[in-house]
Amino acid sequence: MKFTTLDQLKVWLDGLTDKYDLVAPRDVDGKVLYRAIGSADEILFDYERPDLSAKDFFLPATEVLLRVEQQGSQVTQEEVLLDRKQVIFGLRPCDAHGAAAIDALFLHQDPADAYYRHHRERTTLVGLACPQMWGGCFCTSVGGAPDDTTHLDVLLHEVEGGYAVEAVTEKGTLLVESLASEEREIELPEPVSDADEVPVTSPEKWKPLFEEKIWMRHGERCLSCRICTYVCPTCRCFDVVDRATGIRDGVTHIERIRVWDACTSPNYRRAAGGHNSRPTKPVRLRNRFYCKFCYYPEDFGPLGCVGCGRCVVSCPVDIDIREIMQDVAKAK
Amino acid sequence: MNESIAAEIRDKARELLESEQVDCVIGYEASANNGARPVFIYDSADVDRLVWNEHCVHNLVTYLHDKKKSQKRGEDPPRVAVVTKPCDSRAVNVLLAEQQIARERVFVIGVACEGMKEAGGESQERCNRCADRVPVIYDVLIGNPPIVDPPPEAYADLAEVEALPPNERLAFWLRQFDRCIRCYACRQVCPGCYCTTCMFERDDGLWIDAGIELEQKHMFHLGRALHLAGRCVECNECERVCPMDLPLSLLNRMLAREVETLFGHRAGQEEELSPLLFELGEEGSPL
Repeated sequence: MKFTTLDQLKVWLDGLTDKYDLVAPRDVDGKVLYRAIGSADEILFDYERPDLSAKDFFLPATEVLLRVEQQGSQVTQEEVLLDRKQVIFGLRPCDAHGAAAIDALFLHQDPADAYYRHHRERTTLVGLACPQMWGGCFCTSVGGAPDDTTHLDVLLHEVEGGYAVEAVTEKGTLLVESLASEEREIELPEPVSDADEVPVTSPEKWKPLFEEKIWMRHGERCLSCRICTYVCPTCRCFDVVDRATGIRDGVTHIERIRVWDACTSPNYRRAAGGHNSRPTKPVRLRNRFYCKFCYYPEDFGPLGCVGCGRCVVSCPVDIDIREIMQDVAKAK
Repeated sequence: MNESIAAEIRDKARELLESEQVDCVIGYEASANNGARPVFIYDSADVDRLVWNEHCVHNLVTYLHDKKKSQKRGEDPPRVAVVTKPCDSRAVNVLLAEQQIARERVFVIGVACEGMKEAGGESQERCNRCADRVPVIYDVLIGNPPIVDPPPEAYADLAEVEALPPNERLAFWLRQFDRCIRCYACRQVCPGCYCTTCMFERDDGLWIDAGIELEQKHMFHLGRALHLAGRCVECNECERVCPMDLPLSLLNRMLAREVETLFGHRAGQEEELSPLLFELGEEGSPL
């Protein structure tokens, strides 16, 4: 297996910035976030789970889809597709699973989502295995593992004196060709996976529980904020709105943007005329969990949860997806 | 101490539910992750779930907004008891003054407070600044008010930011707002944020649109702070819930201090409208 040192890795990453937009974990005022990187010195190599997933780089929180300019009776439209290649370095395996879960809807349905596909096809994923599971993590219960290579192009493992480099796909093999390394016999470290297993139940088990008291019990304290959906690597709901961006030199500028949306938000199901078919917190929260474990797997295949634990640790009122999964498993 | 307070809360909750004085008691239950979390008790058989400990950080008054409407057509809105710390209690007064809740439909279970702790065990910063040990409004008071040293200067951290020249202060704030993900947790948790349609989420986007750009977030946070001027009770929930650790209380406390200095008004200290929201009478402005 290839072995590389931290210094060699940094030289390689700096080299990548010539051809690629490089994204990697960074310390942003105490938060660990995947961010665009100018130089390898900005990258965190020793970190736990980034506080946000990397979905922003496939499904940006705000993306301009279309620009419209109007001058008198002249109207011009321009579709916006950025031609950028990107490498995401230091991706945790759960975030690669998250991207794959979104792929099931945005990439593998016909037609694919053109904007999403554009980002995904231009992206190479270089993972860094977790040495252990962190607070709230339960990836091993939902088909992942701290050192899982699935859906990554390359996976690095931190080992004595440097990193073991595991190229997973052809794209990954090509990318690491320029990485200075030597061949070594390496025994990969076994990550500490001591998190309690959480039961995953089939959609059939969920269906009769729609009117159960579980949803009231957990949903009443929900704040209807969007934290859980925005930190989630698989939540993918969006809204499309038009906005005026100003009048310059007699030309009116309009943009059509796609923005993240959240089913936990009170307005999410509001229809024309004002009717809201999910008017209360419990029914909104219920939808989030049904989407993850019932609707999404039934309609598109993968679970809508990769066990990253971000929603567990960031919910201000302790709505714990693991507890919900246990309650559903226990329900008769 | 905590156990005896918890026992008294349970006894009171049982009494209120059994005598049908209230339909629901909003309190705290045990949480494996954080020590405590909000709970809604409807049946006296469930009162044993209620707890009291140093992790009861949440301001439960915010949930009264969910209880303003009747659950069924033709019925009165529910009557609710709410476990309330001194800081939270000022929010009750704000909601009364703003006619959001009817006094007779809310039973305030006031608890004398020794200060709350973070999950890690250290005191919450807001508690280090706070001298209030008894709720300003209650129907029953549980616990003995502890005697505490007066807190140090409550605005020391604010002074640091205010000492920055304007361009550096702007840079400080833009750097903070840049991390915001527009999850609206600060708004959702706030007892003072209850507009049916938030001006920052209007379809016509008069002030800001749905984009995540820095200027949108800048406008959102300054707008929100101004809307709470003279109304914010400094429970600091907005800062606690922020997943990106924005120091939001600096904005709110600055405005609270201005209002107190200019008008001698401390939001929720008494059941009266903020002087920033005065009513014009025949005599003109009360100011």
